[in-house]
Amino acid sequence: MPRPAASRLHTVGNPRKSTTLTVMTALFTLYCLLPLVWLVINATKSQADFVSTFGLGPGHEFALWDNIAQVFTYQDGIFARWLLNTVLYVVVGATVSTFLAALGGYALAKLDFTGKRVFLLVVLGSISVPGIALAIPQFLLFAQLGMTDTPWAVLIPSFINPFGLYLMWVFTAEAVPSGLLEAAKIDGAGEFRTFLQIALPLLAPAGVTVLLFSFVSIWNNYFLPLIMLKDPDWYPLTVGINQWNKLGSSAGNGALVQNLVITSALLTIVPLIIAFLSLQRYWQSGLALGAVKG
Amino acid sequence: MAQARQPDAAARGPRKPRRPQAGLAFIAPFAALFALVFIVPILYAAYLSFFQDRLVGGTTFVGLDNYTKLVRDPQFWDGVARVARFTLVQVPIMLVLSMALALALDSMRLHGTKFLRVTIFLPYAVPAIVSTLMWGFLLGVKYGLFGSLNKALGTDFDPFSPGTTLISIGVMVTWAFTGFNMLIFYAALKAVPRELYEAAAIDGANELQVVRAIKLPALRGSLVVTVIFSIIGTFQMFNEPQILPSMVANSGVTTFYTPNLYAYNLAFTGSQQGYAAALALVMAAITIAVAYAVQIRGLRNASSGR
Amino acid sequence: MRLSRKLRLLSAALAPMLALTACSGGSGGGGTGASANEQVKIKVWSWDGTVEGAVAGFQAANPNIKVEVVNAGSSQDEYKALDNAIQAGSGVPDLVMFEYFAVPYFAIPGKLADLGEFGAGKLQQDYVPAAWSDVTVGGKVYALPSDYGPSAMFYNEATLKKAGVDKPPATWDEYYEAAKKVRALGGDHYIAQDTGDIFFLLSLIWQAGGRPFKVDGTKVHIDFTDAGTTKAVAFWQKMLDEGLINTKITGWSDDWNRALNDGSLATQTMGGWLTSTLPERAPKASGDFKVALMPQWEPGTKVGAANGGSSFGIPAAAEHKEAAYKFLEYFAHGKGLSSRVEAGAFVPNLSVLDDKAFRDKESTYFGGQKVGAVLAEASEIVGSGWQYPPFFEWARSIYGDLASPFYTTGKGSLAEILEQWRQRCIQYGNEQGFEVS
Repeated sequence: MPRPAASRLHTVGNPRKSTTLTVMTALFTLYCLLPLVWLVINATKSQADFVSTFGLGPGHEFALWDNIAQVFTYQDGIFARWLLNTVLYVVVGATVSTFLAALGGYALAKLDFTGKRVFLLVVLGSISVPGIALAIPQFLLFAQLGMTDTPWAVLIPSFINPFGLYLMWVFTAEAVPSGLLEAAKIDGAGEFRTFLQIALPLLAPAGVTVLLFSFVSIWNNYFLPLIMLKDPDWYPLTVGINQWNKLGSSAGNGALVQNLVITSALLTIVPLIIAFLSLQRYWQSGLALGAVKG
Repeated sequence: MAQARQPDAAARGPRKPRRPQAGLAFIAPFAALFALVFIVPILYAAYLSFFQDRLVGGTTFVGLDNYTKLVRDPQFWDGVARVARFTLVQVPIMLVLSMALALALDSMRLHGTKFLRVTIFLPYAVPAIVSTLMWGFLLGVKYGLFGSLNKALGTDFDPFSPGTTLISIGVMVTWAFTGFNMLIFYAALKAVPRELYEAAAIDGANELQVVRAIKLPALRGSLVVTVIFSIIGTFQMFNEPQILPSMVANSGVTTFYTPNLYAYNLAFTGSQQGYAAALALVMAAITIAVAYAVQIRGLRNASSGR
Repeated sequence: MRLSRKLRLLSAALAPMLALTACSGGSGGGGTGASANEQVKIKVWSWDGTVEGAVAGFQAANPNIKVEVVNAGSSQDEYKALDNAIQAGSGVPDLVMFEYFAVPYFAIPGKLADLGEFGAGKLQQDYVPAAWSDVTVGGKVYALPSDYGPSAMFYNEATLKKAGVDKPPATWDEYYEAAKKVRALGGDHYIAQDTGDIFFLLSLIWQAGGRPFKVDGTKVHIDFTDAGTTKAVAFWQKMLDEGLINTKITGWSDDWNRALNDGSLATQTMGGWLTSTLPERAPKASGDFKVALMPQWEPGTKVGAANGGSSFGIPAAAEHKEAAYKFLEYFAHGKGLSSRVEAGAFVPNLSVLDDKAFRDKESTYFGGQKVGAVLAEASEIVGSGWQYPPFFEWARSIYGDLASPFYTTGKGSLAEILEQWRQRCIQYGNEQGFEVS
């Protein structure tokens, strides 16, 4: 990894690679990868091969392209709709929730206001309540507001990311030097401008981390959409795929489409990998932060 | 909150901001939505917890009956004890692993850092339905990988018997969340100014000394957050025990295996919303108490270690 | 052709964005009055895919009714969603799918409309009597049967032959003997699996003449000691005790599919709906499986039981009951029925079961057997007078908790489990305002 700021010192910025350490880490990656290898292999199998051939062995036919085509055409191609819904939920939800978390985290770390302790305790206490017990009250509240069966029922709860708030708080405390803020304020900048122009750029690596977590958690959000939405046109992928999975396991005339469940799951992971890869370069800007601090 | 002190202290900010209430405007959007999504439903749940729903005869006010019943409900305490045991073992293992991996990745001494970083994080991105399908195969004793392993070794180990299921769940949860926690530690390490390392190098510090003197202290804030959230997460364990019974028979997973699963079954199949609400609130109180205790201990250890 | 598909995809792509900007207006509206030519839109909750297939024909015949069929989840998910919608007073669908055991749960507290008001009573003679009694609570009809699960024995002929069983067991005694022979094949060969499947055990009791649940309004009596129940339970206890049943493989799991595929499970005594899903689960066993009536308790008799199946009812809080009933009658009795049967639905309508074409159709998967004829007979011999308690959904959810220790350690007995189950049901039922004894 290039680290321009540290490149003056060869031993610190670019140390000798350690094979032992690599091997040990690689062992752990094996544990991470094994189930995913299963997923990839089984996405290449037809339904008949899936139920009859060994899990880590190949099927009799290579059905990956066939499966992908089927995923996009099954039930009049509703998968594309679910995919776009999910993209909508994720893009809007993750952006808004990260911004709100950054605002709040900044306030907690750098600004004073009465009731800070109480606020933190209330947030922590609230998220300790098992979410499942809140689902019905939340449903009734949203029904009262006329928002069930609309995208708002998924979006509004996703705007709140308490974990992101706590992370932002910790990161802001560590990464944003108060002196810099004071200097900006002495120069006459308002609180909000100081936040936008000084703090926000410094928070990029933290923000990206929180954004990524919001991204994934909204992408995988299942329980609340299941309760809130009854119209398949608004389903996110998780609810839709789960429904496909249940088709074959409930008595009746459901079709067994495990090959589609697995292939669609693989397809949903791909955008997450792309998001991860494209966001990770922002961590490098941690360097810029060091430079500013110094 | 005790941990509030810590980042504050780390910030070493000036004592007197010019506009003492400025923070309110920043926190207001979050707080307003939070009230809508969490506080109002919680208050409603608290209200419900004083009532009993009946399929015949509707809802009646029962005062604290749900709470007194809960305290004497062995199924509830069975679940609480299980998640407590799980937390004691799994959370430390997972967090130590996460921290070690973050330090290894940050050391820049690995070949293929980028690849490893993505791979370790990936399991977190796999939807729960799919991950249980995968583990069902990998740990399956009849047609799964574990079965083949047993055959090859001549052993007869069943990862989904009542005595071993919790361990298997631990393997699944650790798989899913290690990368998640690793990333938090990694991001915290990234925030450490490089100059500190340069200074340490000039002072002739070796790598272990750098880890102890610079990196570990930099992780303390994140550690508090990850510990608290891991405890909350484990106490709310739900997905794995809910899906397991459809994959394997008689794994020992009951409808009250974890308190959250119990709450779900009470509210969703038992039409006992009031009782489920009482359970959820008691569970929240227990979680906060545990998280609070653990975190005070953690801080005390940290300060004595200085 | 290609272009139009692209356009469809594109419009599907844009729809979420457009709808979000326009937002919320759509869902609640619609007409409240029910004048004859006014356009109404009914909402149907169904996880049975064949219902959707009847929509086009219905709308063509009834241009002023628009039907929207939605999969709002299966079984328990859907029931809870309906309870939520009723509690919230909004989003209540006009027509909802219920498994038979769920009908009393909604009917007794008054959450379902009495279909007699729409003239459903006159349809009775089209249905298998046992199915009709499943949708009747306290003398009133609350749903129309839409698919049926007459218990039948699916058997792997190849496996039985290999074990030296030349014809499918016709009585439970023969079944026991066959089980020993299959087990003698060694390895993973068993005559069947059971990991505490309450629906299977109840179908055995049902067939043996046991009627453990007696429901009269809000009064429920539970008794697992009548002669039929005792006989069935003792028989199955013997099968389990002698290790003739695989207690490791659970139904609907991946392991189950694979065991059906490789022929190590010789029989499945299940609802007739297994016909439609077996070919997908056990494609490799094509030609090996056959269907027969359930083995009998006495030689020469013909008594059956049911296992599963579902129906459709109209919530009392629905907006367009009349239109909903029209559609219900259309796909559960009228012109829409044939399209559903073609799509694989197994229905309890005598007009279908007695149809020669239906009975004579040969199934390639079942080695050319006339499966329809067997299942039609199995439907017509289902024992009458069976009832489910209104809280059966809850009861079956906790059955596994009680049964699991027995199935894993072998300690205790089925009779003891059922007695514990009864106690829990009594306690729960009384808490819920029923009179249970």
